Amino acid sequence: MIKVTYVAHDGTETVIEAEEGTSVMQAAVSNDVEGIVGECGGSMMCATCHCYVDEAWEARTGQRSDDEDEMLEGAASEVTERSRLSCQIKLDPSLDGLVVHLPEEQL
Amino acid sequence: MALAPLDGAITLDQLSSDPYPIYRRLRAESPVLRVASTGRTLLTKAALTKAVKDNPELFSSDDPQTPMKPAFRAHTLMRKDGKAHFVERKAISKALTPKRIKADWGPLYEQLAEDYIARLPRGETVDLFTDLCGPLAARILAHILGIPEASDEQMMRWSQLLIDGAGNFGWKPEPFAASDAANDEMDALFAELEPIRRGEPDGSAYSLMLTADDPIPMSQIHANIKIAIGGGINEPRDALATILYGLLTNPDQLAEVRAQEAWDKAFEEGIRWVAPIQASSRLVTEDTELGGFDIPKGDTVMTIQASANRDEELYEDGESFFVFRDKNPHQAFGNGPHHCAGAHVARRTVGKIILPMLFDRFPNMTLPNPEDVVWKGFGFRGPINLPVVLN
Ligand code: HEM
Ligand code: FES
Repeated sequence: MIKVTYVAHDGTETVIEAEEGTSVMQAAVSNDVEGIVGECGGSMMCATCHCYVDEAWEARTGQRSDDEDEMLEGAASEVTERSRLSCQIKLDPSLDGLVVHLPEEQL
Repeated sequence: MALAPLDGAITLDQLSSDPYPIYRRLRAESPVLRVASTGRTLLTKAALTKAVKDNPELFSSDDPQTPMKPAFRAHTLMRKDGKAHFVERKAISKALTPKRIKADWGPLYEQLAEDYIARLPRGETVDLFTDLCGPLAARILAHILGIPEASDEQMMRWSQLLIDGAGNFGWKPEPFAASDAANDEMDALFAELEPIRRGEPDGSAYSLMLTADDPIPMSQIHANIKIAIGGGINEPRDALATILYGLLTNPDQLAEVRAQEAWDKAFEEGIRWVAPIQASSRLVTEDTELGGFDIPKGDTVMTIQASANRDEELYEDGESFFVFRDKNPHQAFGNGPHHCAGAHVARRTVGKIILPMLFDRFPNMTLPNPEDVVWKGFGFRGPINLPVVLN
């Protein structure tokens, strides 16, 4: 299992244990983490799974693709260098302990 | 395993007049059921409908036999999968993102809503379905799409004719003749406007698609606009009418929605309670299995999101309109790659702008005879009239 911490906009932290191979979005949705919606089920069509990867983890989560970049442009909250679509981050053991921050709004 | 049971009793008329008691029974007794009158396998539980929509490889939108093709005179993104779908979807969705809608279009939407609401007479009985819901949805969409030169009447007529054609499963000639005429009108207008939207980019869907770095073919630009016309008027219209019905028949909830300014919650509950698009079809590409039954390749399954939205496994008393649910994981906008491209537009315009404005202007609006409201539809559903007294 891989540990992921979601830090809500108001600072509330939710820690969950997710299975390897699932995405940061899926893990949030199946554990009822508020602040990640993920309406399109991870098909990169909705931008309601926006998150900011914690500085310490930036290097390990990898780069966003061009398609992801374009979709992110439309996200409801501010997009920064650390913005990702959480459905595009797959969990593997190197991400055990991952911390992501959630935006003010997704819709 | 066996094939799903076959039902010969359920009629299309029953499904159109009041499907909910039937769906409730099917959720309990036969969540996977071949219904002879529809020619489809109906799926009525939330887990099943979501699983199907999230798996486009196995459950394809690409149905070569769809009447949608002649109706739109094109193979549209709604009926494509994979990369082909993604490319066309990306081309239009740029105009429909939360950011564009909030930052660039917000003030215009508010102005349009204000104009249309200001025209309504105070102290009289008005059918909001015909006098507000339809025309306002049409006007807003005409601007988003970049064809504001089209009249409300044209937008609504085109939309209906496209939908009627796309639903012409009996392949009768008349609906296609009518949709052909509408296509001629639309194509002529699009051609006339092309140089303007290209020359003076305005952020509308048409303009963005025309001026993209790597534009999709012109035929598909037209098809995309038509899909949005077919899918972007009746649904917000029906959603608005449904929500108004829900609030006006539950005055205690209305009072609380007002106090908390919970219009967005009211919006989500309205489309959960009676989903404007009740059902979608997917073609099965490989022999598979659903809910313990064999589903053969070539079968067409129908996801009944209307029923998924009342599934007892997700909702307590899903049959009732109740705005203040803890959670509302409804499927009214679909799931997976074909998740509604206009979801943000609908949420913003109906939920954040129109509803509060309408109740602000007519704080004592009433629906004196809810029993006079007629509900209709199997594939698409909503009230077809809404006689309210505006005060
Ligand atoms: C409350 C209002 C609305 C509801 C409930 C709704 C519902 C839906 C649903 C369920 C689908 C998926 C169909 C499927 O899976 O086969 C869909 C697709 C679509 N909707 Fe909406 N819709 C609404 C408003 C709008 C608006 C305002 C627009 C246009 C601005 C729009 C444009 C589209 C488009 C283009 C698609 C096709 C997406 C694709 O195939 O990738 N919708 N809608
Ligand atoms: S879940 Fe829709 S883009 Fe990530």
